[in-house]
Amino acid sequence: MNGAEWLVKALEAEGVDTLFGYPGGCIMPFYDALLGSTMKHVLVRHEQAAALAANGYARHSGRVGVCVATSGPGASNLVTGIADALLDSVPMVCITGQVPTHLMGTDAFQELDVFGMTLPIVKHSYLPRSVDELPTVLHEAFDIARSGRPGPVLIDLPKDVQLAKADHLPAPAPITSPPVVNAVPVGLVDALSLIARSKKPVLYGGGGIAIAGATKAFRRFVAATKMPTVLTLRALGALPFDHPQFLGMLGMHGSRAANLAVQESDLLVVVGARFDDRATGKLAEFAPHAKVIHLDADLGEINKLRRADVSVHGRIDHSLNALCAERVAKHAARYDAPGSDIYAPALLKRLSELKPDAIVACDVGQHQMWVAQHWGFKDPTHHLSSAGLGTMGFGLPAAIGAQLSNPGATVVCVSGDGSIQMNIQELATVARERLPIKIVLLDNQALGMVRQWQELFFHERYSAVDLSDNPDFGLIAQAYRIPAMRLDARADQERVLAEFLAIDGPAFLHVAIDQKANVWPLVPPNKSNTEMLDAPAQADAIAHADAKEFVHALPT
Amino acid sequence: MHYQLEIALRQSEGALARVLGTAQRRGYAPIAMQAATDPRAPAWTLSMTVESERSAHGLKSQLDKLHDCLAVEVAPCR
Repeated sequence: MNGAEWLVKALEAEGVDTLFGYPGGCIMPFYDALLGSTMKHVLVRHEQAAALAANGYARHSGRVGVCVATSGPGASNLVTGIADALLDSVPMVCITGQVPTHLMGTDAFQELDVFGMTLPIVKHSYLPRSVDELPTVLHEAFDIARSGRPGPVLIDLPKDVQLAKADHLPAPAPITSPPVVNAVPVGLVDALSLIARSKKPVLYGGGGIAIAGATKAFRRFVAATKMPTVLTLRALGALPFDHPQFLGMLGMHGSRAANLAVQESDLLVVVGARFDDRATGKLAEFAPHAKVIHLDADLGEINKLRRADVSVHGRIDHSLNALCAERVAKHAARYDAPGSDIYAPALLKRLSELKPDAIVACDVGQHQMWVAQHWGFKDPTHHLSSAGLGTMGFGLPAAIGAQLSNPGATVVCVSGDGSIQMNIQELATVARERLPIKIVLLDNQALGMVRQWQELFFHERYSAVDLSDNPDFGLIAQAYRIPAMRLDARADQERVLAEFLAIDGPAFLHVAIDQKANVWPLVPPNKSNTEMLDAPAQADAIAHADAKEFVHALPT
Repeated sequence: MHYQLEIALRQSEGALARVLGTAQRRGYAPIAMQAATDPRAPAWTLSMTVESERSAHGLKSQLDKLHDCLAVEVAPCR
């Protein structure tokens, strides 16, 4: 047995059932060892998609996602997917081949210091120089990836370490992680006291709820306290979208009800959230009258951007369980847009009604915000969205990962005409694996979110956003042997959606939408969340009278 | 504001670079640093002075998260 064969056995023992990757020179011993393995290897068509598919797999399943690439360009292509996992706290183990140890530092063929390149974007990383290190490295890598605040761990594996004799190594065994510390009682007592004294409390939930598996505890806490609740992009689904206490998503494209409730609150109970700038708007003016109770598994997030009056560090579900002791209707979204073209928010709302239990992976841009605003999520692990890094090209690989982690589920990938072309080659993976993913492409022939900002904040000076020479996406899908349909008119929507969703296996729906359709509401950059715009008239006023004020703040 | 850091580190690949990079990325500019192996254990001892407008707590909480950091003490310089 060599090091690579031991590693494959160890991954199997760890319970890894699927890995995503692309072979090459320095990872060939590992790929040789994979033959005959019980693990399913999914051959992607670009290493970035391997990292993003493992990322999507982990987000939905809660298990550690594993991706594999060779040295040099294979490894560097993983970088965006690794960074995405760090910012959204996704547990991953990324295995890269490396040139043999005696060639390291000589600028050998396909040698790249991926260990150094990824230092700022991993939770931890390893470069074992001896096969004897493998048991410790693998044990720690999985433990670190999923413990506390999850994140990506890199194992850069020299080729000679993969080939070294490993018969003497201990038999691989599954790894158990120690539990996270419980919340400290003093914080809980103080938190209960603050809650009792508050008159306008608001519960502010973030992505840490799903990461901690604390959705049930969170819902019990809402039921017990009846607190109005707002959620971040990453937390959507932690409370069902139609729950009476749910005011909507917080932040730049959040609901007016959510933003105003937070601004007027006298107490914010922050659960697994990190005061991200897209959620808070201008931080100095965020919830100015509120005291803050901050519950988080990561001590580094408490007091990082907003001082907490009470901090409760530890497992969120434990903390919430211990603590358990009309705006929405007024500001509801409207779907009666004029005209006969497809209105994307109404289309997404209808899809959500037709497939209420679907897992939805989306890309980045206007369609991402429309999904967040108009899809009725009931479970945070069913909403896969690149929140922290905003990775265009995330959607299709993430959908592949989610479908492979849950083969019986309905998986919908919502993408835009910009994003889809970042990883469109993964249609080949969808076709080869016969994954029944339903891909909905909202095509406005532009980089829509950038176009919207140029319209509102750059005096309508449109620069490098035109995609009017897009290819025929339906033909591309068909070239990969994926059935494709097109939807242009609102009158056809019901029929086409029914036919599209009835297709057995993968399917591609190309939807033409109005280029000038914008995402509303919107909090202008560097403004407080009370200053959100939700009508074209307000936006016009900003664009023509006040634009200079914003230009310096862009693009952030 | 200047802070003095005393850090015990695992003697592992990239440990020093990880600490230095974390401090810089989080907005703490290194002013001086000195590192030595600990003769009693497979570890580094690292003394570092940094300058920042941000709080000492912010840096300590980020360094505490690093797997290689065995112990971190941060105090304002006098």
